[in-house]
Amino acid sequence: MKLFTTALTTTLAATALFSSAAYADGEKIAVFTKNLTNPYFQMVRLGADNAAKTMNAVTQNYVPTKPDSIPEQMSQIEDVAVKKPNAIVFIPVDYKAMATGVAKLNAANIPVVNITDRSESGKFVSFIGTDDYSLGLETGRFMLKTMGGKGNVVILEGVKASLSNVDRVRGFKKALDENPGVKLIAQQPANYQRLQALQVMENLMQTFPQIDGVLAGNDAMATGVIEAMDAANRKALVIGINGSKEAIDAIKAGKMLASGDPGGFEQGCLGTMVAIRELRKLPVPKEILFPAFVIHKGNYQAFDIAADKRVCPKYEDLVKK
Amino acid sequence: MKSTLRIAALAAELKTIGYRLAAALAICVVLTFLSDAFLTTNNLMNVLRQASLLFLLASGLTLVILTAGLDLSVGANIGLSACIAASIMKLTGSALLGAACGVGIGLTIGLANGLLVALMRMPPFIATYGMLWVVHGITYWFMAGTTLYGFPPAFRALGSGYFLGVPIPVYLMFVFLTLGAFFSQRTTYGQEIYAIGANREAARLSGVPIVKRLILVYAVSGAMAGLASLVFLARMNSAEGDIGEAFTLPAIAAALIGGTSLFGGIGTVSGTLVGALILTLVLNGMNLLTIDASWQPLVTGVIVLLAVFFDTLTRRGEEARK
Repeated sequence: MKLFTTALTTTLAATALFSSAAYADGEKIAVFTKNLTNPYFQMVRLGADNAAKTMNAVTQNYVPTKPDSIPEQMSQIEDVAVKKPNAIVFIPVDYKAMATGVAKLNAANIPVVNITDRSESGKFVSFIGTDDYSLGLETGRFMLKTMGGKGNVVILEGVKASLSNVDRVRGFKKALDENPGVKLIAQQPANYQRLQALQVMENLMQTFPQIDGVLAGNDAMATGVIEAMDAANRKALVIGINGSKEAIDAIKAGKMLASGDPGGFEQGCLGTMVAIRELRKLPVPKEILFPAFVIHKGNYQAFDIAADKRVCPKYEDLVKK
Repeated sequence: MKSTLRIAALAAELKTIGYRLAAALAICVVLTFLSDAFLTTNNLMNVLRQASLLFLLASGLTLVILTAGLDLSVGANIGLSACIAASIMKLTGSALLGAACGVGIGLTIGLANGLLVALMRMPPFIATYGMLWVVHGITYWFMAGTTLYGFPPAFRALGSGYFLGVPIPVYLMFVFLTLGAFFSQRTTYGQEIYAIGANREAARLSGVPIVKRLILVYAVSGAMAGLASLVFLARMNSAEGDIGEAFTLPAIAAALIGGTSLFGGIGTVSGTLVGALILTLVLNGMNLLTIDASWQPLVTGVIVLLAVFFDTLTRRGEEARK
């Protein structure tokens, strides 16, 4: 297993080196993401690669083969502390458990930019992220407004104990509080999984003859909900969160109302830019929080391009955001 | 001698299923009182359809467990089979070719497990645990964080279609229940599988081709995972790298709740159906009653424990008397 991890990391590294052989003198930036399965982190890696390429630097990806594995990220940190890349763009697999890992990076004197999930402790050049609360709030508000402030709504939760779920659901609830005409008829867990969301929705439809809107904690669950509704010939407004390609296609087809975009690509871009600027002694912000952006029928075109064709916005524009 | 043993074993198994079936019915009775929506044709079809995917996966696994083996790679197998089948379908537009590749990949993974366990004599837990990671690794590399979606309507009927008001996956479930029950109870192969699990040395001495039979059960388990992956694809209309992870433990649990023993030699495919139904009923009930998300894991755990409680109790009583 360990052998396989190393093999994979080496392959990734080899690809990264190969694709940017022309910039062999550039800064080496190690990019830590949580897993290879969630499209969000794929967007982060693409953003980081694109930013590095335009700034003549090289990225090297560190991704646990077992998704979100704490021991694997820990051993990757130990690797990096020895290999000493010039800087690190870092997403902790667990915002609490990786504290000792971050301490090791700090002790090795490598500058670290923390993105997406804020680490509980450690020294960072900057933090760049978006907050899940406002993603839930803004996407929820958009749906409730479209419903005209009345009707029956269901919330599908993600993994119960996860930070993102707590904040997204809190955002949904706040939006519901602002719309007293809307009734929350059920709030059930589906663990961010599409099949579970499908089954939970099939079950809920048995009890509730009238469901007007569904607030799903991510796009995969929203897709499951839409499948369940379609199969039963029923209609409801559905929103998800992540701004995935799948969601954008569903919005285009009129099946999904909206998706909250946490800006994985932009976070990858800006995180890498900040890391390189820090190395080049250019001024960097201490913290950037992207505002929640809701993708819907009226604005999806800007996102409807292949992920590997996307280009990072200018640094100035990202910081202004 | 051998046949009287078989009859005694069969009687014990029927008793075990009886207890599990009673547990499933008890859950149904309670839910009927608590929710008006439970005892309706719609909801019962809904429960059967939801149980079908879990049963397809767990039925092959049951044969493996009967030989005192284990297949931890079934979840990972669903993930890779689904992703390969999906990409072949997207690439060629042919549902048949995609489906064949899905089952083929499942079968190949199963065969590899069988070779590791039977020929290399690796402990099944380790062999299939290793396979789990190899398969996950290939899937994540292959998918690279993308999602595949949108398949031909003809293929989608396999998961979301109906025939005479009954969902297609439910027919599949009963077809494979019949096949599985016939294969394990009425054929020499089936008897040999039980014999290997009950006492491998005795089975070897009485001429059972152990290596061949072990390879067979792991191959069947793999192929069933491949088939389950097709039902998943057809039902969800989408696939991503991590879809399989949530399946492994529930599939093992369905077999064990259904009365199959991890030590081998005891259990039935029909018991596994009851196990899958119990697990599905628990989720259905919690959703119908909209039980708070925080309490759902606890409720699931307590019901699973209660479902096997009385059976274990009576068995202990019998053993004490011996």
